[in-house]
Amino acid sequence: MKRIASIALLAALVAAPLFAQAPVVPELKGKNVEITIWTHEDANRAPLEKGYIEQFTAANPGVKVNYVTYPSSKIREIVTTGFAANQGPTVFNLELFDEYPFITNGRVAPVDYKMIGVKSQKDLEAKYLPGMISPVVDGGKVYGLPLELTNWCVYLNKKIFRDAGLDPDKDWPKTWEDVMAVSEKIVQRNGQIITRRGFDFRYPYYLTSVVPMVEQLGGELVAKDGKKAIVGDAAWLKVLSYFRDFGPNGKNLGSPTYTAARNLFDLDKNEVAMSLSGLYQEARMKGKNPAFYESKDWMVIPYPQWKDAKKKVPNNYYGHYYMVNAQSAKLEQQAAWALLGYMLSHGEEYLSKVAVVQPTKALMDSATFKGMPYSDVFAKDMAAAHMVYYGASSSKIDASLKEAFESVMLAGVEPQKALDKLRKDVTAILEEE
Amino acid sequence: MSAMTRAGQPRWKSLPGAVLAAAILVSFSLLILVPLLFMAGASLMPPHEIMKMPYDWIPKEWKWANFRQALAGNDGNWIYLRNILNSLVVSLSIAFTTVLLSASVGYGLAKFDFRGRNAVFMGIMATMMIPFETVMIPLYMIAVKLGMQDSYAGLIVPFMMNAFGVFLMRQYLLTFPSEILDAARIDGCSEPRIFREIVFKNSGPAAATLAILAFRQQWDNLLWPLLIAQREEMKTIPAYIVKFAAEKNADEGAMMAVAAIASIPVFALFFGLSKYFLGGSAVYSAGKE
Amino acid sequence: MTLKGKRTVRSLEKGRARWGWAFVAPGILFFSIFSFYPILNAFYTSFFNKKLLSLKPPKFIGFQNYERVLSSPDFWNSVRATAVFAAGAFVPLFLLSLLFAVLIVSRKRFQRTAQMALYSPAVLSSAVAALIWLLIFDPRGLANQFVNLVANTPGIDHKWLADATMVQLSTILVYVWKYVGYFTILFVTGIGKIPQSVNEAAVIDGAGPVQRFFRITLPLLRPTTVLVSVMILIQCLKTFSTQYLFTQRGAPLGPINVLTLNIYNTALRDQNLGRASVMSVILFLCMLLLSWIQIRFSRSEEAEL
Repeated sequence: MKRIASIALLAALVAAPLFAQAPVVPELKGKNVEITIWTHEDANRAPLEKGYIEQFTAANPGVKVNYVTYPSSKIREIVTTGFAANQGPTVFNLELFDEYPFITNGRVAPVDYKMIGVKSQKDLEAKYLPGMISPVVDGGKVYGLPLELTNWCVYLNKKIFRDAGLDPDKDWPKTWEDVMAVSEKIVQRNGQIITRRGFDFRYPYYLTSVVPMVEQLGGELVAKDGKKAIVGDAAWLKVLSYFRDFGPNGKNLGSPTYTAARNLFDLDKNEVAMSLSGLYQEARMKGKNPAFYESKDWMVIPYPQWKDAKKKVPNNYYGHYYMVNAQSAKLEQQAAWALLGYMLSHGEEYLSKVAVVQPTKALMDSATFKGMPYSDVFAKDMAAAHMVYYGASSSKIDASLKEAFESVMLAGVEPQKALDKLRKDVTAILEEE
Repeated sequence: MSAMTRAGQPRWKSLPGAVLAAAILVSFSLLILVPLLFMAGASLMPPHEIMKMPYDWIPKEWKWANFRQALAGNDGNWIYLRNILNSLVVSLSIAFTTVLLSASVGYGLAKFDFRGRNAVFMGIMATMMIPFETVMIPLYMIAVKLGMQDSYAGLIVPFMMNAFGVFLMRQYLLTFPSEILDAARIDGCSEPRIFREIVFKNSGPAAATLAILAFRQQWDNLLWPLLIAQREEMKTIPAYIVKFAAEKNADEGAMMAVAAIASIPVFALFFGLSKYFLGGSAVYSAGKE
Repeated sequence: MTLKGKRTVRSLEKGRARWGWAFVAPGILFFSIFSFYPILNAFYTSFFNKKLLSLKPPKFIGFQNYERVLSSPDFWNSVRATAVFAAGAFVPLFLLSLLFAVLIVSRKRFQRTAQMALYSPAVLSSAVAALIWLLIFDPRGLANQFVNLVANTPGIDHKWLADATMVQLSTILVYVWKYVGYFTILFVTGIGKIPQSVNEAAVIDGAGPVQRFFRITLPLLRPTTVLVSVMILIQCLKTFSTQYLFTQRGAPLGPINVLTLNIYNTALRDQNLGRASVMSVILFLCMLLLSWIQIRFSRSEEAEL
């Protein structure tokens, strides 16, 4: 008797994970609800999330989920237009600085703690690394759940280094001065036209990857009072001059008009030696060029710091948060949060199948994370970094930065002139808010 | 029809003049075709061959895999085929409605005299000056209010007609011999019947031209379908092109294959119906010259 | 007898007029919903401070919006970019298409082939054209190679998409490439309508080909030239995709920030619907004005046969 009982118990324990249950939500029982999710395209994430959705709808029949994907270059416009016409989807995700206006305009609903299975805001925050929830907190309420938080470090192709007579393990660039020196050794050209680059920036993400360069030298994009823009002229001028020296009118080491470095790096065709990207790039590399990935002829190094940097500032991280439409019916909102809570509880699968990092404490400690090559480099940089600037007009400010840096780099504008114009523009943008 | 070009047009008396004319035409024609030849060649090459300096026009081995990747998409779900179908359905429908409705309106403006006719014509012409980006958002709201989002209706209805079509048909019908119409009226024919049997049936060249132009214009439409079509299955070719090119592992050869595939239907249509469309055919006048 | 006759005639006319309205009605309905209402909506919005995502009712600020826009350097930069583009594309498009049309018509054979070849680029969709030209304008691409070959300047990067002046040139080049064939066909058709009798008379009178062209063909071509020039101008002012797709792939925005692109970005990226509407209204009115001027100008110089 006892034996059968213990076998039965054992069987039940073994079987339980097989039927890893999507939560049955009592509020949805017996009701028909239809929700729509708009998210950006990702060949790996879509099937994963669709699988979770199937499990969820199996556990909660009566819930219908429309999962729609859009190109990432277009999704912001599409979501914005949808909301402008009061026809936004139930659930969507964008980059945080595109999502911020939704929060400030009251277009998104606060998290329903009950539906996602936590007791309070503190509970929720305890699950994540410090500071990961605060960007979506407004007026004491939390308005989104992190889908991914990404920071960029420098991927380095060891083969190209060796080909240029450098030792990757010793000569990898630690400072921006190193970056320029190393790139000069690696670059190959046909006349003026570059055929092989050392390092190249990740255009046009200036807010994310160039502002830290300024902050390392003590400069700021926006002063702490939120009103004064472009603080620390010396810092800004130094970075602007660096771009001028880097570009076609200087040492001609790279430019926004060449194919993006991150697209070429995986191909390993001797075209670019270093590129800024996130942990997710490893999954892409594995898929696109498994031979290169396995060969370990590449490495990841931390974001360079200036030789005389005043403080260490790695690449900013940016995040995608899932948010819920405040105009959706209450039942739809509940279903949405319940589904999101379920989907996002699978941090490790997101990491292993999609290579996106959910900034939960559990994930950071997991074997999956630690097993990804160079994850410690990413983790260390992320711990010291801060969220990319977000505010009501982040995209506009990003555009002004692009104009400033590219006018110096490509059009030969004097850094001081570009700086003055940048300051004027950003101040005007902040005033209009 | 060919008489027009045979006699009376400026003809070069001298041979050098003719040769010069030919040379200019040939060289510019070839020059203009270069990017198309580039697209054709590049669609069969791997990326590093495309960006090679100096460029080799003939691909070393013909990488048909590019076309497979183009059709299958970067995530292997072959949605491009559905997008091509959508573009065909939408463009053909719009070509049809444009011809029909433009003929109707053009006929009314050309052959009927009523107060306010000029104002209506001017008003319609003025709509040509409205840039799409200006009206994009109000249009979206209207479409949504009519429940047309994410459907063929949403893709077709807002573009069912355009001012240039009205202009073209009116221009053509202005020279349509009114005597025939009057004769039919005296015979007791009803107006709709006159329009159907006589006017529309004999608008062949203009209708064909308008159909081709409307088809091509809609084939090219990027912004609107992007806004109104949500599901992958409803999107059209330009949206696919943008998506494909923006994907982080974009392959230039496959991109050119996508471009080549997207261009085949319009080229086929254009070359097939070219006799209606090209200058020198009786497109712009219904009457006898 | 007379009274009865008059009544019949008038009722006949009235009946006909009603049919005229009937045939025109679908057009009126369509354009009212899909063209007039949206532009009126834009006009209305231009007086408000409307943010795209805001749920609150927008604030009425009247002409302040217009003041702000008309005094902003960003707006005038867009005006400059649009004007440069329109002028830069108009002249080559007009002259080249006219030239090609004349040359084509002067030949006996291969008229169709030439027209088809020249028109082929217009058949492509703008997304496709942009893709192709982005590869050609890449520093390692064909554009550099070709120019360096012809000008014997190996290895020079002409910065087609990077340099402020060059990027404007590049957009104009792509646009002219795409549309020259279309306007050539229009001109060929127009020339074809010139009655042969006039030309034959001139030949008999001993006029040479150049004389005939300037004295006879060109003036008689006036309706077509007016049509073509108005069309080219309007098309150029409405240009969007080339600039949009280029800036999406890294080209600098400033030099090619034409009004339509600015409107688009202001509405969707900056979410400032009020300001976008102001620029839309200004653009629309400019196009109306320029078209009217062109038509007026041509009418005052009617050719006399």
